[in-house]
Amino acid sequence: MDGQSQIIIERVNHTYRPPRGRPVLALSDVSLDVRPREFLALLGPSGCGKSTLLYLVGGFLPTETGRIVVKGKPVTAPGPDRGIVFQHFALFPWKSVRANILYGLERQRMPRAERERRAQAFIDLVGLSGFEDSYPSQLSGGMKQRTAIARTLAFDPDILLMDEPFGALDAQTRALMQTELLNIWKRTPKTVIFVTHDVQEAVYLAERVAVMSARPGRIKAIIETKFDDRDPGLTRSKEFVEKVDELWNLVREEAIKAQSIKAQENQEKKPSS
Amino acid sequence: MVAAMARLDDTASLAAAEAQISRDAARRLDIAFRGGAGIFSILVLLIAWEIFARSGKVTAFMLPPFSAVAERIYADAIGGELWRNLWVTMFRAITGFAIAAVGGIALGAVMARSRIVRWFFDPIISVGFPMPKIAFLPIIILWLGLYDVSKISIVVFDAIFPVVTATLAGLAGVEKELIWSGRNMGASERELMWQVALPAALPQILTGLQVALPIALIVAIIAEMAMGGYGLGGAMMSASRFADSRGVFAGIVEIAIVGYALIKAMALIRRRLLVWHQETAERH
Repeated sequence: MDGQSQIIIERVNHTYRPPRGRPVLALSDVSLDVRPREFLALLGPSGCGKSTLLYLVGGFLPTETGRIVVKGKPVTAPGPDRGIVFQHFALFPWKSVRANILYGLERQRMPRAERERRAQAFIDLVGLSGFEDSYPSQLSGGMKQRTAIARTLAFDPDILLMDEPFGALDAQTRALMQTELLNIWKRTPKTVIFVTHDVQEAVYLAERVAVMSARPGRIKAIIETKFDDRDPGLTRSKEFVEKVDELWNLVREEAIKAQSIKAQENQEKKPSS
Repeated sequence: MVAAMARLDDTASLAAAEAQISRDAARRLDIAFRGGAGIFSILVLLIAWEIFARSGKVTAFMLPPFSAVAERIYADAIGGELWRNLWVTMFRAITGFAIAAVGGIALGAVMARSRIVRWFFDPIISVGFPMPKIAFLPIIILWLGLYDVSKISIVVFDAIFPVVTATLAGLAGVEKELIWSGRNMGASERELMWQVALPAALPQILTGLQVALPIALIVAIIAEMAMGGYGLGGAMMSASRFADSRGVFAGIVEIAIVGYALIKAMALIRRRLLVWHQETAERH
């Protein structure tokens, strides 16, 4: 193991084959290295395959060409070393907050007392004390995502895969959750791949931002976004605004392309339907 | 001018007060309806039955008054006959329903997981579901005889279809993110089915069971009517044979009550099992 990279993505292609219609090349020749304990954002317009890339690293989709290596081992299946957080939470709605968090610990055959203690620690960490016995349907969107994050952190993955985790939240909750995620990340450092289409979010959270092109998704540029201090005031500083501007210029072109791809697809769909 | 304004004011407040009163009345009526609506229409029907039966336009043989039928039910209950027949019918219907539930969920789950099993059973389900399964009754009598086994078999045969299709549809509709989450946390394929997919599909599976339960009761009673052998259906047929008009109508009322009780019990079980679900949360 080279010690420098925890995740190696090498020349990965991915073709999406819908049940009806033509296959679509979603990812084209993507190569990317992620360092241990790095917070990396995958930034790109919607439909560019950034979530697909995340699912490939997670092992939820099979790698067809190229290779993905995590800690020296090629990815073949999902594993608790790579914890995923979805945009729409994917909590088990029939389980309480506590039971959701306990589920992964039970699967790992952790002794009962220890898993109870650990679940409570993560409930406290994400600020859900008092809601342990609530069902997801009784929680707000922000609380659901806190539960999902706690559930994933609790089984202690080395790598956190986050698929637009704050995309379904309102603006205020989103800002609070971003700050909270940074606090959690400082306390329990993990390698994070954070998928987003929000430039400001990417610059605020990540140390490096990989900008993806419109479909087929490629890595267009990798931009360092290291800041000394990431307090919420950072977003008003000159260097932050300049970074956002730089990235926005890279993304804008792709977003326009993505829109015309979408329009073209819709037009192709019409005559047949 | 000022007086006119005041009067206008008065009229306005009067109108507001009236509106308030009518709103209150509407709300009270609404509450009364929600509480008693189920009973009210039935009550009207029973009273109409009683009046019509006593009007002299029909003989007591054609339509005995409800009060006489109620008396008969009471007498049957005291004599123990009602409970014997009820027990026999419930045993057949519930046993058949339980077998259909377990078998239907199992078959649906296996079909959801195995492409080959689905390929094989899908056409059979599609052809079999809309078919009147009761038409197989003569064959089942030939094969299994006239007793409980054949009656329970026809109940299973009829009630299993909605369970299979509901299970299949429920499992097909489980979000892939839920399955992926389970897999991410280290669940095996077996654990994914039992601990993730089936609980996620439970609302739809329960809907299938709620369709299957009245079918089970209906088929049990029809089988009893066709094959005899006591039970609520059998008792009605023998009452008819002996020109016992009250007995026949008593059977109808008993079946209605049993069916209503079963459906209510099933709805209660659904609410208990789905405390976590949106639909249950909204009702409180």
